[in-house]
Amino acid sequence: MALGLIVIYAIGPMRANVLNSTYGTDYDANYFFLGQLRSVALALIAFFLAFKVVPYKYLQKSAKFLIIIALLMSGILWILALSGSSLAKCELGECRWYNFGPVSFQPAEFLKLALVIYLADFLARKREAGDIGKLKEFWLPLAIVCGASLFLVVIAQGDLGSSVTLMAIIFGTLLVAGVPAKQYLIMLALILAVSVGAIATSSHRMERIHAWLDTISGAEVTDSTYHIENAMLAIGTGGFFGVGIGNSVQATGYLPESINDSVFAIMGETFGFVGLFLILAVFGAVLFRMLKVAEHTAPGDERIFIIGVFSWMLVQVAVNIMAMTGLVPVTGVTLPLLSYGGTSMVFISFAIGLVLQLSCYTSREVIKNEDISSRRGVGGTHHSSRRRRA
Amino acid sequence: MSRIKILKSLTFAALAIIAVRLFFIQIIEHDTWVAKANDQHTLLETITAKRGEIYMMDENEPVKVVLNQTVYQIIIDPATTDKEQIKTALEKYAKEYITADLDEIYNIEGLRYYIVARNVPYSNAVKIAEAEISSVWLKEGNRRVYPEGEMGSTLLGFVNADGVGQYGVEGSLNKLLSGKDGLLKTTADINKVALSIGNDNVKIPAENGKDVVLSVDRGLEKGAEEIMADYINHSAATHAATLIMNPNTGEVIAMTSLPSYNPGDYGRVDDASAYINQVTEVPYEPASICKSFTFSAAINEGKMTSETTYYNKGYEIIDGWKIRNAAQNASITNRELTMKTALYWSLNTGSIYALKLLGDNPDGITQVGRERLYDYYHNKFRLGRATGIELIEADGYIEDPNEGWGRDSTYANMTFGQNLGVTMIQTATAFSAVINGGYYRTPTIVKGTLENGTIVPFERKDTVSEQIISSDTSATMRDMLINNRSYRARLGIDRYGYNIGGKSGTAQVIVDGSYDDTMSNLVGSYIGFVGPNTEMPEYVIMVKIWGEGEALSGEKAMTLFESMANFTIDYLKIKPGV
Repeated sequence: MALGLIVIYAIGPMRANVLNSTYGTDYDANYFFLGQLRSVALALIAFFLAFKVVPYKYLQKSAKFLIIIALLMSGILWILALSGSSLAKCELGECRWYNFGPVSFQPAEFLKLALVIYLADFLARKREAGDIGKLKEFWLPLAIVCGASLFLVVIAQGDLGSSVTLMAIIFGTLLVAGVPAKQYLIMLALILAVSVGAIATSSHRMERIHAWLDTISGAEVTDSTYHIENAMLAIGTGGFFGVGIGNSVQATGYLPESINDSVFAIMGETFGFVGLFLILAVFGAVLFRMLKVAEHTAPGDERIFIIGVFSWMLVQVAVNIMAMTGLVPVTGVTLPLLSYGGTSMVFISFAIGLVLQLSCYTSREVIKNEDISSRRGVGGTHHSSRRRRA
Repeated sequence: MSRIKILKSLTFAALAIIAVRLFFIQIIEHDTWVAKANDQHTLLETITAKRGEIYMMDENEPVKVVLNQTVYQIIIDPATTDKEQIKTALEKYAKEYITADLDEIYNIEGLRYYIVARNVPYSNAVKIAEAEISSVWLKEGNRRVYPEGEMGSTLLGFVNADGVGQYGVEGSLNKLLSGKDGLLKTTADINKVALSIGNDNVKIPAENGKDVVLSVDRGLEKGAEEIMADYINHSAATHAATLIMNPNTGEVIAMTSLPSYNPGDYGRVDDASAYINQVTEVPYEPASICKSFTFSAAINEGKMTSETTYYNKGYEIIDGWKIRNAAQNASITNRELTMKTALYWSLNTGSIYALKLLGDNPDGITQVGRERLYDYYHNKFRLGRATGIELIEADGYIEDPNEGWGRDSTYANMTFGQNLGVTMIQTATAFSAVINGGYYRTPTIVKGTLENGTIVPFERKDTVSEQIISSDTSATMRDMLINNRSYRARLGIDRYGYNIGGKSGTAQVIVDGSYDDTMSNLVGSYIGFVGPNTEMPEYVIMVKIWGEGEALSGEKAMTLFESMANFTIDYLKIKPGV
């Protein structure tokens, strides 16, 4: 029964990913394909480690240590970038990666995982102690950790996409941790106000907003609207069944970031509405599964953790796809498990593995129910997967 | 529990919105996006056809006189960091081809593409390519090369910057030479590289232009130009034109005019009139040369012979105009003269008398006479009408015999080649018919197209080959034209053993609407034939000299003709008869 979940959680989407990466080979040899293959292998290993080897309880105990390491890594990267070290890998002026020869590492991805683990532990402890909602015991330490994380990601790495994910993780976990509704709404309003301010004061971010507005209003294609316009063009060209594997024209250079952030658009062109709907269904199945597992888990650190991972995944899926379809501005969020990029895939796989590990602790009765629903999911994915390959 | 439900609803809402949005974009708006995609992805590119080359004849072998050279444009991205490297390489390998000021271009902000050198030959371009500087590109192109320089330029024409032939053969045979460009319609990637993706990719290959072989002899053309240049240097003439053709086939073997220009550097001319082919494009009045046509008409109609006599008063008054003879010698004025003598002295009264005879009234010009002359000039000799040679041509004009005022004086003038407009090629083609036994043949300057080393005859429509005067008339005319030169023959100027006949023409120029009677501004022409005295003449040579405000008579043109005739005999090794 767990095997079925593994297939849904990991292999299905990844298979699509591998296929999708294949047409990266169309214009750049096997580099991307091999790179992605390596990422998938690493992600699978991470997934199994999380699922079978690393006990969640152990991670929970190291929560403080992990968040400190994660923040340090981002901090050191910032210092390295400022000092112009070659260890900091920069693209388009944003230094988000460590450069270790052939391998690069994005600390923001690690920070996401660490934050989920930390918040799960922190919120559960405060909940047990009845400190939730108290200014000094609860809001202050929370603000310090979250503030530091967001600062490093937004200011030091200029990574708006990751900051959106971090905020989603914070909102999600706080919601189920039992923060009083009034305080929760005040926090929500406060952070939204700060975010709007941050966007409005940055010309770079405002440009994206304008580009998005221009695109939906159907204005002339400019340099700014080019990305969204071409993403929608790729998706629209796909029609019902898509143009077929290897026939994507937009991937030949018209669509920026075609294997990273824009992979969904290329998949839309390749597999059409049918393909995208299935991908959406798979993500939906995974997300609802997580919620179901959370429902059947006792309120506490485990449930909060699951919701953290859920929020992480939901926001990345939703924001990425909505950006590609012109529903929200482009923020540079990757599509979990499908986009090219090893760090992101490894950490989200690890997180999903942990959720799966926790799901095994839930009651037998519940598992039986899961089994039935998941098998249906498995069948569907298998079928579509084979058809895609044909 | 309720808070997880909130998340459930949130998730469901997000996924539902996305699904609807996808349905909207992929299904409902599908056609719009496909149309946009086609706009963006389709590459339409012209496959340029190779322009045909032009040959002249050398002995019996075609030789290239216009050819193609592959040259390169050098394009740079001025925003590059290799500024100094580019500058050094360009100055080292392609200095004389640089067309831009590099320092200036480097300072233009935002400029990412600039052509900095043009017409760079392969050997130089290769060195720049080998330097492997990033942001330097070479673009292959074609350049027309005229290895003979100015030789034959008014005949050959040139190719402009858009690759379109202008003037001369380049202009008139542009379609044949340029071939047909092909078309490439394909789905392309963002760098305009064609992809194999897509169903409606089209590739129509280019049809290269034909190589054209002219009937012109390169050596004769070159020699004729040298003789003309020499003549211009030693006379008041500033302009000269020469046409040499075979009267029996209509084939032109030399056609040139001076001043000329260098077609490889065609922009550098003082006066655009240098582009014009004086032989085919400029109608003028060849004057007394036309007496050969009037005489041919009257003899052919049986109205006179070379021995028919008339009384020469030295002038005629027609429609109130006094028309005088140029020659007023006492030995010929107020005397009874034969038509042969009248032609020898080029007497206008003689050709007017021929027109009277043509109208069956020795005492005056009649309507019948005008109509008959018109029939010969316009319909038979095809004067005032484009001949159909493979070049850009002007028509000219012949006045209608019955309409308008002063027909008689106009027609009297026409008998000695004034009051009409004809080109040199029209005149020489008509003259060929006069002396070749009576056959009008459409002139030609193209032998054919060169295909795999052999000349394939050039197919032409609407060519004329018909007898317009009898062979007896033609023989009589030959005798009279040879007689014209009997004095020169006796002087030894015309070589022994050859039949050389000819006729001069001195045209008054119209100044302010009427002929300039001061005779200070004259255009001189001479036309004649050359051949061994035992055979039919093989070459017709026509020359024309002029210069603004200069009195250049037919007598002066005659000396140029003689140089041409002697050169032609020597160059073509025409053997004398008995």
